[in-house]
Amino acid sequence: MAADPLTLGLYARDASIIEGGCALVVLPSSADEVQACVQVAAREGLAIVPRGSGTGLAGGAVPLGDALVIVTSRMTRVLDVRPEDRLAWVEPGVLNQDLADAVRPHGFTFAPDPSSQQASTVGGNVATNAGGPHCLLHGVTSGHVLALDLVLADGARVRLGSEGPLAPGYDLRGVVVGSEGTLGIVTAVCVRLTPLAPVVSTCLLAFPDPLAAARCVAACIAQGLVAAAMECMDQASVRAVEQYVHAGYPEDAGAVLLVELEGLAAGVAHAVAELGTIAGAHGATSMRVAADEEERGQLWKGRKHALGAVALYAPHYYLHDCVVPRTRLPELLADVYRIAAEHRLLVVNMFHAGDGNLHPLFVFDRGEEGVLERVLTASQEILERCVAAGGVVSGEHGIGLEKRDFLPLLFSAADLGAQACVRQAFDPDGRMNPHKVLPAGARCGDFAMARGDGDLAAAVRSLPAGTWI
Amino acid sequence: MDLTGLPTVTPTDREAVVRCLREASAAHTRVLVVGGATQLDRGNPAAVDLVLSTRALDRVVAYEPAEMIAVVEAGCTAAALRDLLRPHGQEWPVDADDDATVGGLIATGAAVPRQLGVGPLRDSVLELECVSGDGRAIHTGGRTVKNVSGYGLPRLLVGSLGTLAVIVQAAVKLRPLAGARRTLVAAGGLPVALGWLRSVPLATAILVHGDTAELRLEGWADDVAAQTAWARACAPDAHVGDDAPFPQAAPWSHHPVVAEMSVAPSRLGAVLATAGCDAGGLVGVGAGWAGLEGAAALDRLRRRVESLGGALPVVRGPGGLGGTLPAPAIHRRIKAAFDPAGILAPGRFWGGL
Ligand SMILES: Cc1cc2nc3c(=O)[nH]c(=O)nc-3n(C[C@H](O)[C@H](O)[C@H](O)COP(=O)(O)OP(=O)(O)OC[C@H]3O[C@@H](n4cnc5c(N)ncnc54)[C@H](O)[C@@H]3O)c2cc1C
Repeated sequence: MAADPLTLGLYARDASIIEGGCALVVLPSSADEVQACVQVAAREGLAIVPRGSGTGLAGGAVPLGDALVIVTSRMTRVLDVRPEDRLAWVEPGVLNQDLADAVRPHGFTFAPDPSSQQASTVGGNVATNAGGPHCLLHGVTSGHVLALDLVLADGARVRLGSEGPLAPGYDLRGVVVGSEGTLGIVTAVCVRLTPLAPVVSTCLLAFPDPLAAARCVAACIAQGLVAAAMECMDQASVRAVEQYVHAGYPEDAGAVLLVELEGLAAGVAHAVAELGTIAGAHGATSMRVAADEEERGQLWKGRKHALGAVALYAPHYYLHDCVVPRTRLPELLADVYRIAAEHRLLVVNMFHAGDGNLHPLFVFDRGEEGVLERVLTASQEILERCVAAGGVVSGEHGIGLEKRDFLPLLFSAADLGAQACVRQAFDPDGRMNPHKVLPAGARCGDFAMARGDGDLAAAVRSLPAGTWI
Repeated sequence: MDLTGLPTVTPTDREAVVRCLREASAAHTRVLVVGGATQLDRGNPAAVDLVLSTRALDRVVAYEPAEMIAVVEAGCTAAALRDLLRPHGQEWPVDADDDATVGGLIATGAAVPRQLGVGPLRDSVLELECVSGDGRAIHTGGRTVKNVSGYGLPRLLVGSLGTLAVIVQAAVKLRPLAGARRTLVAAGGLPVALGWLRSVPLATAILVHGDTAELRLEGWADDVAAQTAWARACAPDAHVGDDAPFPQAAPWSHHPVVAEMSVAPSRLGAVLATAGCDAGGLVGVGAGWAGLEGAAALDRLRRRVESLGGALPVVRGPGGLGGTLPAPAIHRRIKAAFDPAGILAPGRFWGGL
C-alpha cells in the first residue's frame, strides 16, 4: 500500500494525455488480497480503479478524486498451462509477452499481440479487448478468453465463462472483456492457446504513397487473401524507425506494408505469389520476403517500436484509434492527412491496415501555444469522418475518459441506456472505475439524452474535476 | 416445445416488432420468438401466449463482398445467406440447417462443427439490432471487424435464447470459401482423432463418434493434399471424400433426445465413454452431441458432464438446459432491465430465468 506523493503521482496517469489523482494505491499479490481491498473500499464508499501496467491510451486507468487504485503488477503467476486443453490460467498482472513466452515451449502462443506486449498485462488486454497485428487472422482478445475470475464492487467473487465452448447463462465473460475495469477486477484469466503456425512468411512491400498501400490492402481483403497480419507505416514512421532500430525499411518509400502469411509451405508460397500480384497491380515498387527468423524479427522490431521512434520528431504525442470499413481505408487516410494539414499538425500513420484500424498519431511540442487545442480539434474531425464512413470510434484502445462523449455519435440514448443497465447490473453503486466509458448522461432506465454531437475539446474540458490533460 | 394452437404474429419490420412487444409488455402477454423453428426444444419449459415469428424479416440489408461482412435481417435463413454469399466465394461458417435463421442461430449460440478451424459463432457477430422486451429498439456493436466502442452487448445477446430481446438484424463476419474441401473418414475412434490433432496442424475439424473418426480439411489444394498424407500416417485406410459434407454421419440425431455437450477438450474421452456409442465429439474443442433414450440416460450423462465442469443442454426432446447460473443476481438484474415485464419466454433460460 502506498500514499506518498511520488507514488500517487506515478499512478495518477496512464499512457494517454489525461492526468488525474488518487487517494491510495494498493498492490495486492493474490485474489484474496484484491478481495480484501475491495471490501475495505466498499465499506468506506471509495471508488476503485483497476490498473495493470498503465499503458492504456484512453485514460481508463486514470483515477479521479478519492479513488483506490488496485494495481495487479504483483499478480504475475502463470497458474496452469494445459496444452491438452489448449488453455492456460494466468493471474492478471502477467505481461502479454511473458504469457506468449511461457506457452511457446508447448507449441502454442497467446494470439493477441499488442505493440505494447512487452509492457501491458493480460488483465489490461482483457479489460480493453486489446488487438494487435495478428488479430487480423486470429481475432481480438475476446476470442481468446475462455473464462475469468472477477471480484465485484461489493467484494463478491464470481467465475464467468468456462473451459469448454459453452457456459450456462448469458455470456457475461464476453461482456467483461472490453469493459475497461468498470464491471469488476479480473483476478485470473483462462486464455485460449493458439497453435504456432508451422510456416510463417513475412513480406515487406514498398509503395509510392500511403494511399496506394491502403488500396492494396483493400484489394487483398476483397480478393479473399487471408493474411495473418497487414500493417502499414507511412514515410514519416519509416524514417523514424530506421533511425531508431534499423529495421531495414526502405526510407525512400512513401509507405511500407508489412504482411505476414502463415500456414503450410505450399499455401504460404501461393499466398506470397498472390500478394505479389495484387501489390504489383496497386503500384508496389518493391517486395522483400524475409529470408530467415532473424530478418523476420528485425522487420517486426521496426513495427513494434514505431511509436517510440516517433519521439524523434517532437516530445509529445496523441495516438488515435478508430476503425473504418476496409473499402473506405484509402479515402479515410487521405482525410487524415488533409485534416492534419488544415490544422498545421504533423501526423504520422502506422496502423493495423488489414482490420481497417487507423492509428493517426499527432506529434507535437506542448510548449507551442494552442497546439493541444488544434490536436483535439483535428482528432475530433477524424472521428467524425470515421463514423460518417460507417466506422467506430475505437478498435482496441477503448473509450476510457478520452472518448466517452463520442459514444453518442454511434449510439442513441436508448442504446447507451442499455449499456448503462448492464454496467449497473454488475455494480449497482457505481463505484467500479466511475466516469469511464459511458458519457455522464447515460443512465439505466432514463433515456433522456439525445443523440448529440461529440466535441472533443469540450469533452476534455468537461472531464470530472481533478483531471488534467 | 409444442406451439400448436398458439396465435402467431409475423412482423415485417422493426417498428412492428416494437409495437408488438410494447403491447405484449403492457398486457403481460408471454412471447416466444421463433425463427426457423429448428431449435425450439433448446431451453427449459416455458409457457407462452404468443409466437413472434421473424420469418418475414428476411431482407438483405447490406452486403459488400469486399468488406467480408453481411448485414441481414434476423429471419434470413441459413440457406438464403449461403446462396447470397457463395457466388462471391464467401461463407458465414456456421453449418446450420437450411431452415435455421440467422437470428435464431445467434440467439441459440449453437456449437459449430468446424469450430476448431473457423472459431465459435459468437466471434463472428459484429452488430445486432434488437428490440427489448418492453419494445425499445437497441443498436449494439458496429459494422467493423474490430470494435471496443462501449460494452460488447452483441456478446451478451448471443445465446440469450430470446429472453432479453428480439434480434431483428445482424452484421456477421464472413470468411473466404476454401479452394479445396475434403472429409476423411477412418476407423479407430478417439486414438486416431487425437493423433490427427497432433499431426494435422491446420485441421478444420476433427470429429469422433463411436469407432469412427472424421477429419475435415479446407484450404489450398496443395496443403489439403499434404495434410491428407500426414493424416494417413495415423489411419492408412482413411476414406477420402472430396467436396463431401462434414460431418458424414450424425448418429446422435436418430434419438428422441439430443443433448449438446461442452467440456474442456481433454475431458471429451471421459464424456463420450459415459454417453454411449451414438455420441460424437469435436476433438480440440470440447463440444459434442449425444443421442439419448430418455430422462435416465440424460440425468446420468449430465451428472458426469457437470462433475467435469461442463454443461449439457438438450437441443431436441425434453430435458431442458440443466446447469447452474453463475452470478444469479447479475443475471436477474440484466433480465429485468431488458425485459422488465418478464414476457420474453419466461423460464426458458438457464436457471429458469
Ligand atoms: C507504445 C504502445 C503501444 C500500444 N499498442 C497497442 C496495440 O497494438 N493494441 C492495443 O490494443 N493496445 C495498444 N496499446 C494500448 C495498451 O497497451 C493496451 O490497452 C493494454 O491492453 C493495456 O494494458 P495495461 O496492463 O497497461 O492496462 P492499464 O493501462 O493499466 O489499464 C487499461 C484499462 O484496463 C483496466 N484494467 C487493467 N487491469 C485490470 C484488471 N485486472 N481487471 C479489470 N480491469 C483492469 C483499467 O482500469 C483500464 O481501464 C499500446 C500502448 C502503448 C503505450
